[in-house]
Amino acid sequence: MKKQWLSNFILAGIIRFLLMNSEYQKVISDRVEVSTALNSWKRVTEGVYLYNCGIDPYTGDLFHETPIGLYVFNFIQQHLSQWILFCLFVFTDLLTAVFLGLTAKQYATELVSKQKVEEKLCNENKETRNDASIVYTSMMYVSAGYLFNPYIILNCVGHTTTVFTNLLYSIALVSMTRSIFWNCLSISLLTLQGLYPVSLIVPAIIYITHSSSIKREKNIMNYVIVFASIITTLFGISYYIMGSWSFLWSTLGFILTVPDLRPNVGLYWYFFTEVFEHFRWLFIASFQINVSLLYIVPLALRLRHDPMLLAFSYLAITAIFKSYPCIGDVGFYMSLLPLWKHLFQYTQQGFIVGCFMLFCTVFAPTVWYQWIYSRSANANFYFGVTLAFAIAQIFLLTDILFASVKHEFAVRHGINKDISGNTAKLLLE
Amino acid sequence: MMHFKIPLLSFIFITFIKCVSPQNDFFDEELMLKPLPSNHVYAYFQFTTVWETTKDVTTFQHSHLFPRGLGEIISRHNVDELHLTLTKGLWHYQKWGYPYHDAGPGAEITTWFHKDVKNVDDEWKGLTNALAGLFCASLNFVNPANSVSPEYTFRPTGVVDRPGGVVDSVNSSHLRYSSLPREIVCTENLTPFKKLLPCDSKKGLATLLNSAYIHNTNYHSIGIHFRVICSNAICTKTSLELRQSVSLIYDTVTDVSQDWSIRKFFGMGIRKACPLATLSNIYIDISSNNTNQIYELVPSPSAKIVSLRGGQLNEIAVYDIRSHSSKGIFNIQVLYNTTHTAGLNYPSILYANRYIIGYGQERGSLVTKIYNNYWQTLDIILLESIPWYLPVYLHSVTITCGTKNIIPLAQRYLPGKERKSPYYLEFILRLPPQSVTKFSIEMDYSFLKWQEYPPDANHGFYMGPAIITALLPIARNYTALPLDGSTITSSFNASREGYLVQLRTESLLISLPTPDFSMPYNVICLACTAVALAFGPLHNISTKRLVLKRVEMDWKEKLLSFLMKKIVKPKKKEE
Repeated sequence: MKKQWLSNFILAGIIRFLLMNSEYQKVISDRVEVSTALNSWKRVTEGVYLYNCGIDPYTGDLFHETPIGLYVFNFIQQHLSQWILFCLFVFTDLLTAVFLGLTAKQYATELVSKQKVEEKLCNENKETRNDASIVYTSMMYVSAGYLFNPYIILNCVGHTTTVFTNLLYSIALVSMTRSIFWNCLSISLLTLQGLYPVSLIVPAIIYITHSSSIKREKNIMNYVIVFASIITTLFGISYYIMGSWSFLWSTLGFILTVPDLRPNVGLYWYFFTEVFEHFRWLFIASFQINVSLLYIVPLALRLRHDPMLLAFSYLAITAIFKSYPCIGDVGFYMSLLPLWKHLFQYTQQGFIVGCFMLFCTVFAPTVWYQWIYSRSANANFYFGVTLAFAIAQIFLLTDILFASVKHEFAVRHGINKDISGNTAKLLLE
Repeated sequence: MMHFKIPLLSFIFITFIKCVSPQNDFFDEELMLKPLPSNHVYAYFQFTTVWETTKDVTTFQHSHLFPRGLGEIISRHNVDELHLTLTKGLWHYQKWGYPYHDAGPGAEITTWFHKDVKNVDDEWKGLTNALAGLFCASLNFVNPANSVSPEYTFRPTGVVDRPGGVVDSVNSSHLRYSSLPREIVCTENLTPFKKLLPCDSKKGLATLLNSAYIHNTNYHSIGIHFRVICSNAICTKTSLELRQSVSLIYDTVTDVSQDWSIRKFFGMGIRKACPLATLSNIYIDISSNNTNQIYELVPSPSAKIVSLRGGQLNEIAVYDIRSHSSKGIFNIQVLYNTTHTAGLNYPSILYANRYIIGYGQERGSLVTKIYNNYWQTLDIILLESIPWYLPVYLHSVTITCGTKNIIPLAQRYLPGKERKSPYYLEFILRLPPQSVTKFSIEMDYSFLKWQEYPPDANHGFYMGPAIITALLPIARNYTALPLDGSTITSSFNASREGYLVQLRTESLLISLPTPDFSMPYNVICLACTAVALAFGPLHNISTKRLVLKRVEMDWKEKLLSFLMKKIVKPKKKEE
């Protein structure tokens, strides 16, 4: 068991390390799907360089990391050699996989205990399962899903800062039931950097309400206070580092107003290239509301019994609709899919989504080359691919959510689809 | 008797006017013709107006020789110094030496505002818009997004108020420089330019400025240079100086004969000097005569001047237009005794070129190569003003000379901001003797909004020239006027400690990636569809509940099942 676990990590580490030392590293890190304005290492290098030259990097267009990030990356770039830097990226990725594995273990245990309760209620005795093996496979699959996910490998090899963001995400997920402090710290760091992950406090609070019924209100208050104080402190530290609030416009403002129209895997770039100037602010507002506010409450109400699935949906929605998405974000929530192994029997669009993903992954570099280099295609081709990619992800998400609803139904009413001998089908009403 | 009296009377009258009139100003018109070693001829017109007065609000309410239209703009926007050039073509420093005024392709404008000006950006906008109207040039496209305030490259060339005698109190925050390399210079700019002259284009050298001939040249540049100068040696009084210049490069290589004349270049001879001008001269640089080219001047010049300046010996033939034109229209011809021979070219000691490397429309590198042909090190200032849509990475700057890295002596950098300010880069470099120094910086190509692309978007975007400023130790191929001089005459025998040049490199054409301009509606619809595809199911999931429903059959299925029953039932019975 442990052998397999260890060999996975060693293999994943070797793949990453070899690719980083190959000539493909530069090609990969220059890809628009991998590096966006928010996470490109080249821009981080530029920001750190400007900072060391005594120029405020936020006066320019290129740097959009937080001042805390600037401080950390400054330290990294000044004190770490190239090799250690490579090792740092690989190690961070492996650590993320460990945390994801732990998250999976926790979730699977939770799921098994939940099912036991349900079975007791239903008085059904199905075939006896090996709980330990379920937990183990889930853990194994999730970590392997992260370690061998091509998107994640490219993301790591491309030296994006999303590698560190993903680590924070995994910390946030794993600490949701364990430690309020680490959860708040990771979510506030993520919020400072990317704004959208602030929604993760909702599943965290739901977990708190689930855990203890006695001191519920107190715990929630506790959580909110800790989160608020940490994020205020972080803003204070940022201000202390830079000496002004100018960074806000270059980080959060940059995310919200979408001034950079460089193509990426998202929907924003071509839309805001082509939108009529008159309606720009209307559409920026509606797109931002769509990604950050619109689904929080409805999904939270619906998925209140399964906060992990709620967190997953938030992550997926953010990865699809955020202003500068990259495949590192997509890869992260995709590696969580094995958590929903019990839902796969209810999903319907796995094949379509798989094909879409595969074709988009192949077509994106192809049409990019045709548009930018050989100039035999135009922007519409690449837009088509990103559109298909977004739609595939939307299908994946809605499919999983439908499956969870069906699963809930099936647990309650059995999987039999007959009404007094006549065939019937499940409908949402 | 009357023959004598009228000129005498008019002379007395003019002298009287001159004594009484508060307008203490004079006007000079000059033309320098310089045969270049590459068998081109450099024609440089300079019209100088000097007005002994102080620059204040009331000064420009009355003007005599100074163009009032320009004067009003200068006083309204409180301009201390103004340089505006409109240029077509690229000056070849290797072949042609150094011009009187360096000018980058397109329109270029440099302005020093008075130190009391509070909102420099507003004045800058007002000034460029006013000048756009005055010269029919697209200077109204100058905005903060393509203007910089370089710290080292530009120094005031005129008198600056220095409070408390502080020498280095010049503040570049009151300086604005901008270049519009896309600007096309044509007749509509030349006409208003000529109208600023006291004699318009009716008399004097300005009659030679016929657009058909001027715009046929290999290089043409018109310029306006306004500054405040000292009118006495101790500088207790100031004058306003306006120099209007026209630089032209004529090609004599392609013609059958190498001979050239005023009539051949400008389509007509010279009729009369401008009566308002104090000095009205034509100079021809005949240093190359009797080397490997032998030519004679017809008619022979009024005088010959030998000018020794910074190690360069020039012989100049001077024609006084007044004395030559007394017999009517006159023409100056240069007749060669030899067949086509190229002159001896002493290469300029400093020149540069610039290009882009990389392919595709994603990213590239900007390379500036600076050549030092001198036997000693040269200190130069390199100014790069890179448009905001070509973001550059400062950490990728490499300055190499062969295999050796060169560390800049000083460096200034201001990162650009989208749609707000360009990337401004200034380096002071010490070039090793006899070397080629390569400066390169990586850049990305931006993706713009569809309405920000100019018409014919695939033509590309122009990027203004880099400016290389240096104080040359010798005056080889150097022509420019000394800082304390106003007329071409002042450049003869004007040896100084250094000779200031400001080289302009090529302007570059960059083709940025373009979106498809025909489909805004489609894109909006498709992207919104994707959003709706997510909204619909998520809305359903979160608001509705699952129910089992009997499948209602439509009439076809009913019929089918009915028939099936009919067929299947008998069989069952048989069983």
